[in-house]
Amino acid sequence: MDISIFVPYFVPLKISINMSSETQVLDTQPQWAGGRSPFNVSYGKLMMWIFLLSDAFTFSCLLVAYGAIRFSYSGDLFTPWPDPSLVFNHFPFAHGLHLPLLFVSLMTFILILSSVTMVLAVEAGARNEHKTVVKYLLYTTIGGSAFLGCQAWEWSQFIGEGATLQENWFGFTTEASKKAHALGLFDHVHWDRATDRTPGPVPFASLFFIVTGFHGFHVLSGVVILIITYINAIFGTYKRRGHYEMVEKVGLYWHFVDLVWVFVFTFYYLI
Amino acid sequence: MESHIEDASEYIPETYVPKAASHGTKELWKTFYLLLFITVIDFIIYFSWPAGWPIMGRNIVFICLGIVKAFYIVGTFMHLKHEKMFMILMLILPALAFIGMLIFGLLHEGNAISTY
Repeated sequence: MDISIFVPYFVPLKISINMSSETQVLDTQPQWAGGRSPFNVSYGKLMMWIFLLSDAFTFSCLLVAYGAIRFSYSGDLFTPWPDPSLVFNHFPFAHGLHLPLLFVSLMTFILILSSVTMVLAVEAGARNEHKTVVKYLLYTTIGGSAFLGCQAWEWSQFIGEGATLQENWFGFTTEASKKAHALGLFDHVHWDRATDRTPGPVPFASLFFIVTGFHGFHVLSGVVILIITYINAIFGTYKRRGHYEMVEKVGLYWHFVDLVWVFVFTFYYLI
Repeated sequence: MESHIEDASEYIPETYVPKAASHGTKELWKTFYLLLFITVIDFIIYFSWPAGWPIMGRNIVFICLGIVKAFYIVGTFMHLKHEKMFMILMLILPALAFIGMLIFGLLHEGNAISTY
């Protein structure tokens, strides 16, 4: 039985209703006529995407605010924004070695790797391979916790050097102090993080804590959700349900967290 | 939640879950190596940017590489490129519009924010 009707927007002009009950009737309905998801995704997944969209706006606002504040410091002798590669040049168990940005690149690698294990868990879920899903969920949770541990170490190092939400002791960079000495200004001022500490732009510290803290909070909630999903997966909740859609949704959130880290680390450490 | 429905009367919009599609792991590993490669390039550019060249150019390179990474994470890891085009556009276009608006506002009015 064929019916030709005019329906606007993204629908076929002709619908055929299959009278047999074996084929899936939904495939023959117009996309936007109601009673189905027009994108053929579940409600939960679509809402997760929309939440991630809203969270993307939140992080963009934070990063744009970071840009406005950071670039209001002209970077000359008297208003120097500290050079992150001179501030963040530490590494665990390598005290005293100058390893600029090595630790943050390790953190990025850990997070990207956890993203890969997450999407492998999602793929295994699509193939209904229970053991593989559980394995990769565990790896992802471990990766996320490792990232949190690294971020905690980074914070503790920075706080140990006197940075708080209201203080920043990375004032003159080595370059600025060289220029100052060359000009004969501030003869006694130099930037040696061990001994002489000059107050620097406070937003360097406060924005670091706020931006990485907000992102770290997302990682923490992601790890909590991952643990819940992992426990559910072990107990066979998703096997009984017949699909691993929850793993997919958690995967979306986790990849978003990774995506935000890519931009946070680009803007804060590289630019 | 039924993932396969025999009859339209079984369809419940709030709990309907379409059958999951497996796309294979090869593309995922390729994307991982690409992301790793771009991040390594990021660091190489950071440490070897010639002294005389403008820093704004370097920053633009970083942002472009970040956008490339974003496209691969969202398209491949989050499987957005396997979704219907309407949904892709529904998510990407408002994001680009509002984030672009924020950046545009920053560039034009940013110097009104004084920290002194």
